[in-house]
Amino acid sequence: MLRENRLKVVAELMRDHISLGGIELFFRETQLCEEDFTVIEPQDFDGRIYAVDGSNVAICSWSVANLNLIRAGYAVYQGREWQKTVITYDDVFLADPRICSEEFDPYLKAFFGLKGIDLKDSDLDRLSTYFRELQEYIALNEALEEAHAGDLLIYDGGFDVFEPLRSVLHIIFKRAEEKGVDLLGISKSSSLSWGKDISLPFVQHTGRAGTLLFPGVPWYVGLKDKLVDHGQGRWEGETYIVRFAGRSDLAFRVDAPAYLAGHIGSALSRLAAYSRSSECLGYPHALFRAHRDIRITNQEGSFMRQKLIEVLAEMGLSHSQMRTLTQDFHDILEMRPGI
Amino acid sequence: MASEDNRVPEGSNLPDKMVIDKMVIDKGDTTYRIISKSVTEYHFIVPFDLPDEERIEVGQIFSIKDKSLTFLARVLNMEHSSNYDGHWDTTLKGTEFYDADQIFNRVIAEPLGCVSTQGGFRKSRTLPTKFAPVTRAKKDEFEFLKKVMGDIEIGYLRNGSRVVEEIPVALHSEAMDHHMGVFATTGMGKSNFMKVFAASCMRLAARGESKFGLLIVDPHGEYLKGKKDAKGLMHLTRYRSGLACYSTDRKNASDPGVEELAISESEVRPEDIALLYEWSPPQRDALDAISRIFSSSNWLEEIQSNEGLARMMQEGFKDTTVLVLVRRIRNVLEANKYIQKRSSLENIITNLQSGKVVLVDIPRMSDRSELFLLSIISRYILEAYKKEDQECRKNCLITIEEAQRVLGEGSNTSRFETIAREGRKFGVGLCAITQQPKLIDKLLLSQFNTLVVMGLGDKNDRRQLEESAKQDLSSLDIEIQTLEKGEAIVSTLNIPFPVPAIIHRYEDYLRILGKEEKDESLVRRGGFKPFLE
Repeated sequence: MLRENRLKVVAELMRDHISLGGIELFFRETQLCEEDFTVIEPQDFDGRIYAVDGSNVAICSWSVANLNLIRAGYAVYQGREWQKTVITYDDVFLADPRICSEEFDPYLKAFFGLKGIDLKDSDLDRLSTYFRELQEYIALNEALEEAHAGDLLIYDGGFDVFEPLRSVLHIIFKRAEEKGVDLLGISKSSSLSWGKDISLPFVQHTGRAGTLLFPGVPWYVGLKDKLVDHGQGRWEGETYIVRFAGRSDLAFRVDAPAYLAGHIGSALSRLAAYSRSSECLGYPHALFRAHRDIRITNQEGSFMRQKLIEVLAEMGLSHSQMRTLTQDFHDILEMRPGI
Repeated sequence: MASEDNRVPEGSNLPDKMVIDKMVIDKGDTTYRIISKSVTEYHFIVPFDLPDEERIEVGQIFSIKDKSLTFLARVLNMEHSSNYDGHWDTTLKGTEFYDADQIFNRVIAEPLGCVSTQGGFRKSRTLPTKFAPVTRAKKDEFEFLKKVMGDIEIGYLRNGSRVVEEIPVALHSEAMDHHMGVFATTGMGKSNFMKVFAASCMRLAARGESKFGLLIVDPHGEYLKGKKDAKGLMHLTRYRSGLACYSTDRKNASDPGVEELAISESEVRPEDIALLYEWSPPQRDALDAISRIFSSSNWLEEIQSNEGLARMMQEGFKDTTVLVLVRRIRNVLEANKYIQKRSSLENIITNLQSGKVVLVDIPRMSDRSELFLLSIISRYILEAYKKEDQECRKNCLITIEEAQRVLGEGSNTSRFETIAREGRKFGVGLCAITQQPKLIDKLLLSQFNTLVVMGLGDKNDRRQLEESAKQDLSSLDIEIQTLEKGEAIVSTLNIPFPVPAIIHRYEDYLRILGKEEKDESLVRRGGFKPFLE
């Protein structure tokens, strides 16, 4: 039984996590200082912004494999004007560690000239995430092919990825650099943390510090040589914390490949000019649009599930067989409807 | 970092370039297309930030071209809408919308009907195909309306706030004995409408094309010669022969074209007095007995004499009761000096039956006197029209201002109710003008087949009309609320849907009628063009 004072202790811990007690302590422990913050001057530009995103929804699962609906693509903006959204992948993905290399390898070879990856020991849930990420990288690659020098290519997520797909990103970085396209990864959530005793949220606290020091203006701060827990932290680039709009309280983690180090300020200035929409103030609008156009809704998931049942039934599988195969016993305990 | 041994060696069996089956969503034309909803209601979306000249208005008519049919639909309402869920628009900061294709206005329109390629109009029993294109209806798409318009021009078709000068709105003479209602709050242009209506009737009469006589009793003295800058019916000199004027005002009556109004004492009946006052039961009995006790031709004089009082008392009425009657009769006679030995009524009937506009000008007269006079004339008209039908006799339309006084629930003016209920059989119609249709008996209102609605702010007034109208006006509630001065909704049986109209400004209409080619049919040549002159 949860004791009241136990809850109080947890609440106090949460308060310590959420609130930034003093900016001095934060600066001392992270090695950040006021001078690290650079004010961004939003700057209009004539180029295009390509925003890449992906989405996946579990259709059904049967302990040793699962089926996901995955979609990836990119939205294109010219200034504030949406031009188009391109869906590069929209299909089901069967995640079975034994056979899924057959699903990955053709893409890896065709688009990135890679041999393929060994995913036999990967966690089942992670497989579909990897595949979605691979499709997002293919979308990045497609957008990159379409882009011209000076354009911005932004990605919904970080570049600090797990080993299997790091090679793909390496190739994308190289292609972007060769083409003169500025590539940035923007994370809506981040596990960056600071603090000696407990893990404190670094992005939120940097955002708070930036608001106190530079109210009403956009800014960025680089994390090079700062005492921040980066997680894996082994990728070819720099991480920044960025507030894109002065009137927003939100700051985001932004990953930039190493080739951008010399002109990150310019890239962020251009992006900040298009992160002021009322629809989603303080977030790059192109990513907002990409998210909305590419996301898979629950309705779509349900529709796909229904179609799958129909096809299985045509193949002679009874509903009872399907249930036995696919229902998680947790669903039975929770009395949730399954496939 | 990509390890070198992860790379496919050059020249090894690299697959051909994989082709991605891309789907491109680009700037589609999502606006101005039917997106829903049913046979009785169409929805389409338009950009949320249309420039002023392209703004959509309630009442505007749109056309939807779909294969061999052109559907017409009238805008009933508009709503802010978007593809975003939840309360995004109340939590956002700033007003820099980026995605105009995601934020829009949803237009809700009511189908009016559809026009086939042959030009025939009919009510729509189907709905346009989804995504069928929607455009503002053009003048040629209203051409079919010309064929269903009548002969009494009152204005132009209105498309939202825009005037469609090519399509005149004209009422049908044939519908006038089915009664007409003119409903508007003060200042919305009732008097202007009536003058335009009367002018068109005068024109028809002068040209020998009239099908009914129009009686207007004007207690405000504004129709004869006008008031201030506004002109009167006498200013329509071109068609003056279609007008017969009577006035209680000596000065007005000195005009050679105006006869001094006179009603003979013998033409006044006790029931004409009855409608002017509230009566106690004994007083009512005494009134009812008058026609039995006295001669119908001289009762007014007789009852006021001592002998008359004695005869009433002999019949069992108390002297106090009779004296109240006598005092009230004297008051009426005192207030209505036109009650004389001679009478204009015969002439009035003749003029009405010949299809003229008969204007009875009674300036500065009280409400009660106006009602009294109207009662006498109406009774006389009804009696005359009840007599055997004469071949060349025209129908008659009696105008009643502030009609709620005589057509309200519980009013003691059964004469007008009788005309409303039975007049049509004898070719007599009522033109009821009121600011408060809610006070008019609903059953009587349902007898009115032509309604001219010119802006009613009170929802009870609108509801009363909606519940009684022959055509469905309920969907036009917002439009009726938002009508500007001079704008109207005209609902009549001969025109397939309630038509939005802008009523001619009388002075403009006068000017153009004055210049009209002699034998030219106004409606046929597309109405007059005040704005093009």
